[in-house]
Amino acid sequence: MLRASVTAEKAGIPTVSLISSGFLRLAEATSKSMGVKLPLAVYSGHPMMDAPEQVSAKAKAELLPAVIAGLTAQRESAQALIPESEPQPGSIVFSGDLLEVQEHFLEQLWSDGLPVVPPTSDRVEEFLAHSPYPRDHVIGVLPNEGREATALSVAINGVMAGCRPEYMPVLLAIVDAIADEHFRLEDAGSTPSWEPLVVVNGPIVKQLGFNFGQGAMKVGRQANTSIGRFLRLYMRNVCGFRIPPGDGDKGSIGFTFNVALAEDEDAARRAGWSTLAMDLGFGPDENVVSVMSVVCITAPLYSAGSHAVDHAHQFAEVIKRSFAPWAHVGLRKGVWTPLIIMGPEVAEVIASEWSKDEFRRYVQSHATLEAGMLEEFSLPATAMPLDLKRLVAEGLLPESYAESDDPARLLSIVVRPEDICVVVAGDRGRNQSRGYMPNHHQGALTSKRIVLPDGWA
Amino acid sequence: MDLRRHLDAPRYEVMWPLARKRITQRAEVAALTDLSGKTVAQVWDRMFRGEEIFAEMREHLSAQFPGIKFIPHERFGDIHGPDERAVVAKLVSRLREFGCDAAIVGIGA
Repeated sequence: MLRASVTAEKAGIPTVSLISSGFLRLAEATSKSMGVKLPLAVYSGHPMMDAPEQVSAKAKAELLPAVIAGLTAQRESAQALIPESEPQPGSIVFSGDLLEVQEHFLEQLWSDGLPVVPPTSDRVEEFLAHSPYPRDHVIGVLPNEGREATALSVAINGVMAGCRPEYMPVLLAIVDAIADEHFRLEDAGSTPSWEPLVVVNGPIVKQLGFNFGQGAMKVGRQANTSIGRFLRLYMRNVCGFRIPPGDGDKGSIGFTFNVALAEDEDAARRAGWSTLAMDLGFGPDENVVSVMSVVCITAPLYSAGSHAVDHAHQFAEVIKRSFAPWAHVGLRKGVWTPLIIMGPEVAEVIASEWSKDEFRRYVQSHATLEAGMLEEFSLPATAMPLDLKRLVAEGLLPESYAESDDPARLLSIVVRPEDICVVVAGDRGRNQSRGYMPNHHQGALTSKRIVLPDGWA
Repeated sequence: MDLRRHLDAPRYEVMWPLARKRITQRAEVAALTDLSGKTVAQVWDRMFRGEEIFAEMREHLSAQFPGIKFIPHERFGDIHGPDERAVVAKLVSRLREFGCDAAIVGIGA
């Protein structure tokens, strides 16, 4: 919303932005980072919690004077908004022993709260030696603070997160993915509190020692854990998504970072299925990272039986029940791409009878909810009805979503079968899978080829 | 604190973990001295009871500023919808097309 205000202001058109008081710190930080100090009209509390007469009273008493003042206020010059002096990239900013470094980084809000490996020049150079790009290579300019994502900043935060130097090509590809406009990194501080999930494919999975078997999504293997931590740390430091006492991250509750997920490509091949990277258009031997948001995870998804449908039925049931409260948002945006981590033995049973596309079609057509239930979950989140007819008319949803007004009619919560992503990973010894729900088009699934440096063995 | 141990501990010279900011400049914004007779856009993200709040703004501003005119949010699109980027990209040209002197944008919450 603030991007609209900033766009107008930068074109010379005065604006005033209506916000709730809980949004104030984020609004101030975001607008400042975009180079404009926006006039704000602040509604105390949240309009979703007030009776109609309270909304009316606050609009008159609080918003109206601020709107008038904001539209008639003298703007600060652009020059006045140039940020205060900051260190030069790569400069040494502190010297101390291990504990002093930790304290300094905590005080400066440069830490995720866990101990960091001190980013000394020597260690950072080891990382840069594994980069295919020079240290000043700019991957992009990232929200929320408009900072340059450079190979140097990737190396420094990679060191801090406990990565190994040889992870550097993966780290660079991850930042390349989140820098892609398709990913919508600017929404990483939104209230639903999503966390990015990295999926790694290709020979590099084994070369770097990723865990793709039992406990694949648990902390404990350096490649998975430190690379997952790196991305959260990078989004905090370089992007500026910090929870209080910082700002930029307005996630209401949230959850911890995801470790990086690697696919069990041997298991996928044994089943005769393509890997996620292949599904996304990459070759079978290409090294690829895919990054997507995760806002919700299903319960452990146990499925049993000797036929594909036995398992697919269970997938549809668990997914629709787990994702029911938030599925309306994906429909509002017309797209969301749930990701299934499928246990290797489960994949083998399903693949013995169905292609991956057949599995997707079954789950998409059977993961259905009553229209009335979708509506019921939608209103408290947005105060707006889920207007399926409008969404169909705007081309966001297929016509089937507007065929009836019956609140009991069943609607697929996933718009298209091809939106369902499948990664084979996990415990070969158990019949367990899991479903991961993205935050609709925020943190949209984005894949990048991993570029290796010369001499990579 | 054990001072001896502290002094013997290895020291680390550490690098700044952030990166250079790039901020684009903006055009000079001429302040409006009076909203009377002005055209004001209402730009909405279709959330958080904006339909009620924008109606209140129209009513009260019209009472205070004769001749003030409003361009409704439908003319600009949903700034939080699936095509948000396209809507925002076209916003300035739409504001100029409708002769808007200013814009009220909401609802951030």
